[in-house]
Amino acid sequence: MADKQLDVLVICGSLRKGSYNAALARSLPALAPPGIALRDAPSFAGLPVYNYDEHQASGIPPIATAWIDAIRSADGVIIVSPEYNWSIPGGLKNAIDWASRLKEVPFAGKPVALQSAATGLLGGSRMQYHLRQSLTSIEAIMFNKPEVIVTFAAKKFDEKTLELIDQPTRDMVKQQLAAFEKFVRRLGPR
Amino acid sequence: MPGKSLNVISICGSLRKASYNAIVQRALPSLAPEGLTIRPAPSFAEFPLYNADIQTSNGFPAPVNALADAIRAADGVIIVTPEYNFSIPGGLKNAIDWVSRLQNQPFAGKPIALQSASPGPLGGGRVQYDLRRAMVFLDAFVLNKPEIFIGGCASKLDEKTGEIKDEATRNFIKQQLAAFATFIARVAVKA
Repeated sequence: MADKQLDVLVICGSLRKGSYNAALARSLPALAPPGIALRDAPSFAGLPVYNYDEHQASGIPPIATAWIDAIRSADGVIIVSPEYNWSIPGGLKNAIDWASRLKEVPFAGKPVALQSAATGLLGGSRMQYHLRQSLTSIEAIMFNKPEVIVTFAAKKFDEKTLELIDQPTRDMVKQQLAAFEKFVRRLGPR
Repeated sequence: MPGKSLNVISICGSLRKASYNAIVQRALPSLAPEGLTIRPAPSFAEFPLYNADIQTSNGFPAPVNALADAIRAADGVIIVTPEYNFSIPGGLKNAIDWVSRLQNQPFAGKPIALQSASPGPLGGGRVQYDLRRAMVFLDAFVLNKPEIFIGGCASKLDEKTGEIKDEATRNFIKQQLAAFATFIARVAVKA
């Protein structure tokens, strides 16, 4: 593939303003290689809870369409998410559930990388493995390694600015983004 | 897909002679699309249990190198395995553990497809997800779908003739093998 800059979408699984994962997502553009341009996905905050009856009666809500179209048009997707109760946050899962109901599932054949931050010692890793399983069902092509699992997040972001200040974490993210660029280029267009 | 022929090896997670999964493994060549050749991998039956001391003092045992070389040389690997105690059979995991310790780790970047058969209703669903997780660490490319879970396999596989007598199962496997050939072409390093 030619060295066209890749359009990579960033989805954050947390809606909280002071979210460490949102802070991690904000740190990405500064850590990305020149071959990747990152953009934030439209919010899924206003998405109704999936209900097949409403889907049949009213179709796909515009807010879902915007979220889904953003995924469809991207060359790759990075999901940055906290772990809720050892698993995927319900809001993020609901958004994925909406996306999965389209005829052409937007995740199908799409390269996807995962990141998570948590204040505990496992850094959201249990959530990542549930997400991998779920995205397998909708045919995403999951990036393997290096994993970005930010443990003890409270020590790694500036307390006031929420900037990612921990150098080893910044290096880990840089390595993943560089490897993800290669992965997306290796796979090429669908 | 371009007409390049693909050479794939199959690894069976069971050592039992009359294994249901071995029946499936033996049936694969007859269900493969044109251009996809499937041969059984060298056996891991004689691998010692992994012990870093053995590796340090004697190097890698010959059967480990044989399997690793076969994986490296293949365009893809199909693992057909039973589920033991809800997870990966220890012998298969031991084989993966040995191979993972080699330099130029053979699973890295390798396309993998998974299949499992069991007499129970889930057909080995849980072993596949544990294998997928190990394959993340090994940096393999694991095919997503179609998945092959042969549940209630005692009625689908003929232990006497060694054949898959269930037509639906044969068709599922055909579909997966065709999808695997396409997947291998997509993830291949482009020149």
